[in-house]
Amino acid sequence: MPRISLKIVGASGQGINSIGAIIAKGLKRSGYCVFGYREYPSLIKGGHASYQLDVSNERICSTETKVDVLVALNHHGLELNMEELKQGGIVLHVTPGWQFPEHHRKLIAERSLRIIYFPVDDMLNRLGARAILSNVLLTAFVWSMLDQDIDALKSLVGETFAKKKALLELNIRCIDEGYSFVDPEQGAISVALPPPDKGFAGHLLITGSQAMGLGAVHAGVRLYAGYPMTPSSPLLSFIAELENKTHMVVKQAEDEITAAQIVSGAMYMGTRALTATSGVGFDLMSETLSLNAMIENPTVFVLAQRPGPATGLPTWTAQGSLLQAANCSAGEFTRCVISVSNSQDAFDLMPVAFNLAEQYQISVIVLTDKQIAEALYTQHPYDQEKTEIDRGRLVVDPEKLKLLKSSDRFNPHAQGGVSLRWLPGSRAATYCAQGDEHNSIGAVDESSLNTKLQIEKRLRKCHGLKAGLPAPHLSIGGRSVETSDWIDTGDEIELLAIGWGSTGDVFQDVMRSDELRGRKIAYLHFTYLWPLRTQELQRLAKRSKHIVLVEQNYQGQLGMLIRMECGLDIPDKILKYDGRPFFYDELLSSVIERCASTSENEKTSPGLEHAGSPS
Amino acid sequence: MNIALQTQPPALSDYYSETKCIWCDGCGNYGIWTAVKYSLVELNLYPWQVCLCYDVGCNGNGSDKIEGYRFHGLHGRVIPFAAGAKLANMKVPVIAFGGDGATFSEGIGHLIHGVRSNYPITFVLHNNTNFGLTTGQASSLTPQGQAMNTSPNGIPEHTLASMDLVFSLNPTFVARGFSGDIKLMTRILKAAIQHRGFAFVEMLQACPTYNHFATHEYLLDRYFDANADGHDPGNLQQARALATQVQDRIACGILYQRRDAPDFYSRLIPRQGVETTCVEEVRRYDVSEYWKELV
Repeated sequence: MPRISLKIVGASGQGINSIGAIIAKGLKRSGYCVFGYREYPSLIKGGHASYQLDVSNERICSTETKVDVLVALNHHGLELNMEELKQGGIVLHVTPGWQFPEHHRKLIAERSLRIIYFPVDDMLNRLGARAILSNVLLTAFVWSMLDQDIDALKSLVGETFAKKKALLELNIRCIDEGYSFVDPEQGAISVALPPPDKGFAGHLLITGSQAMGLGAVHAGVRLYAGYPMTPSSPLLSFIAELENKTHMVVKQAEDEITAAQIVSGAMYMGTRALTATSGVGFDLMSETLSLNAMIENPTVFVLAQRPGPATGLPTWTAQGSLLQAANCSAGEFTRCVISVSNSQDAFDLMPVAFNLAEQYQISVIVLTDKQIAEALYTQHPYDQEKTEIDRGRLVVDPEKLKLLKSSDRFNPHAQGGVSLRWLPGSRAATYCAQGDEHNSIGAVDESSLNTKLQIEKRLRKCHGLKAGLPAPHLSIGGRSVETSDWIDTGDEIELLAIGWGSTGDVFQDVMRSDELRGRKIAYLHFTYLWPLRTQELQRLAKRSKHIVLVEQNYQGQLGMLIRMECGLDIPDKILKYDGRPFFYDELLSSVIERCASTSENEKTSPGLEHAGSPS
Repeated sequence: MNIALQTQPPALSDYYSETKCIWCDGCGNYGIWTAVKYSLVELNLYPWQVCLCYDVGCNGNGSDKIEGYRFHGLHGRVIPFAAGAKLANMKVPVIAFGGDGATFSEGIGHLIHGVRSNYPITFVLHNNTNFGLTTGQASSLTPQGQAMNTSPNGIPEHTLASMDLVFSLNPTFVARGFSGDIKLMTRILKAAIQHRGFAFVEMLQACPTYNHFATHEYLLDRYFDANADGHDPGNLQQARALATQVQDRIACGILYQRRDAPDFYSRLIPRQGVETTCVEEVRRYDVSEYWKELV
């Protein structure tokens, strides 16, 4: 797969995002798949930040550590990012008279780097333009380096300034000026892109947060309550930006407890409502999770992960909250934990989450992470026809409501533990959504018999839930396959990798790499994490030479859940817990290493360990 | 309760519950519980038309002693839950109940933002000036120095000036009742439920087991109906002064009401002109319009 990477670095607030976003959109419209990745510190102005675009004419959804083009908006980029350039790479900078230190001069020579000084201040003076327009000048020059059509860029900028004629005119002059710049030393520079695939032109450029927001609206969410905390805040902002079009109730609450309670009250009343938070914010929401379990109130929580403990690394990524989601809060109860992996299922899983919540009258925790929340995906427009709204055993028909008895609400003998539910304001017998242990009508009942029956009712739901969850998704050599077809037949698997969340897309790119093409590598991706369905994994494990766990946390948390559920121990782990996502080249070399060692070990016995017998 | 036969206006008996009362002899909850039922019946509301939300405490143990759609939640959290319920379905009157412990200790932030937000709900404070259900600890409304369970020497903290706090938040409805006067409480509750905004209703009540200072007799001697005395609920300053001066006599009744302030829901621009409730709007939405600018 041909791939080109371009990284814009500078101070936070300097405009790196706007350059990145406009180039991404332009390239996508030209027929390229673009994957955008942002790094920035937790502050508003200053600090070193970056926006990297990885570009291909095939599907691409990962970031490389090495780049073809570095655009440095200040001299810190020249100090900090030079090592990241590939052989023959290009450095575009705006720092007048910059003298590279000795080790960088050596690097430039060794890697045949081309250095371009872009005299942005001179150009601004000539045009009588303010400093903010330096981004337009730079964008236009990068656009010319990529051999892209100048009119495409002009029409993109035109969309932004459609209502501000004077501003637009100046922008267009900046585009002409920047586009026509030729470096006196290097001459005309061209970064070769592969031939475009026009199929991408009609795609969306979307962040995981936007995808999730659209998915929530699509799923019928009519009330959103949240409290700002990165990386869940972009979802709150997106939902709020849309409020005048969607006519939703949007509430920025005074804290996470409030947000969780407002959403729970709204769900109890019968609408679909959503909240999102991160790490310690979810700690505050977890008492409400327990409450909803007791009153069997369907709810959906988005838990956007970042590294912890405490406030940790606010603007960086992790998969460290799986055990938190699966285990937090008082008491034993049925819950469902699922994880989105990219912009596709960030959308698709929102209706799924609400359906599961209402079908089983449980809380569903939807995990995402900073990488998914803020990465920019090239996304095929969503298929909305496949979505069904399933509200489970909700009774709304007036004739059926008349027949209800209060004791239907928490009937401990209900099939699968899921009793009938009807909404306040319905002309029917009433009940109490009771946070104390209660009997079928919601009256407090601490008797031994009742306690046992009701606990069994609430936990019995787990069986139906688990049995109904889809199998983990299997891909072999980068191709998606039917998990069931592959379980027992086919060749021996060279390497079976297990992962979840944002790891999945990077692994897909790795499997499609030239280096690994044709190898019998299998990747099993878990979207449904709790309850955990392990039968496919157990069977695949038996015919895999080597198994490796791939996660962005220290403990290998999915591995812990797997071992807890079925006894399968996966000693080999590729773990990352430095706040950064898996990078393409980094994960590729880890996988190649394992493939090599698998070949070496072929004569000896494969090192599979079973800590217990599969259940 | 047989819904099909309801052709008569609601009666007190519609709110009868099979669950036996377990409050202490002489507990103020009996009176408040009775007045709540009277007010709902007098407002012509059937149990299926109302949502009653209870915090944790002795008041919350009333959640299964009345009919209606009820909720009994976590300590201190009843206000945001009730607000969420109301915002989802504006057609259903939502009444929340909480004790002084829940409201002025654990959940004080929720009270402050509830009043400030002017959510269209009624909040009934069961004020017995202690944590009854956890066996008589001091709340932030217990008089400083009063010996209580876990504070044999009295609490070192100041007593919280609850009415001053509420009035500092620009409330739109403040009333005070006394658990010994059912008629007064019923009048207050009816006005509160009909109020368009956050109605803060304090009910002074006896706790015969743990509160040996503000007893039923103590309250009976001091309370009076300020409205009967000619108090005008339209004057914020007068109302605040009346509400906070409780040394000799305790003013009850509707102390303050402002009718021209829009409630939280009415202030939501996206909801203006929308006739349906959020509950009625759950369906699959086509969102392709919203992704156009992302292409």
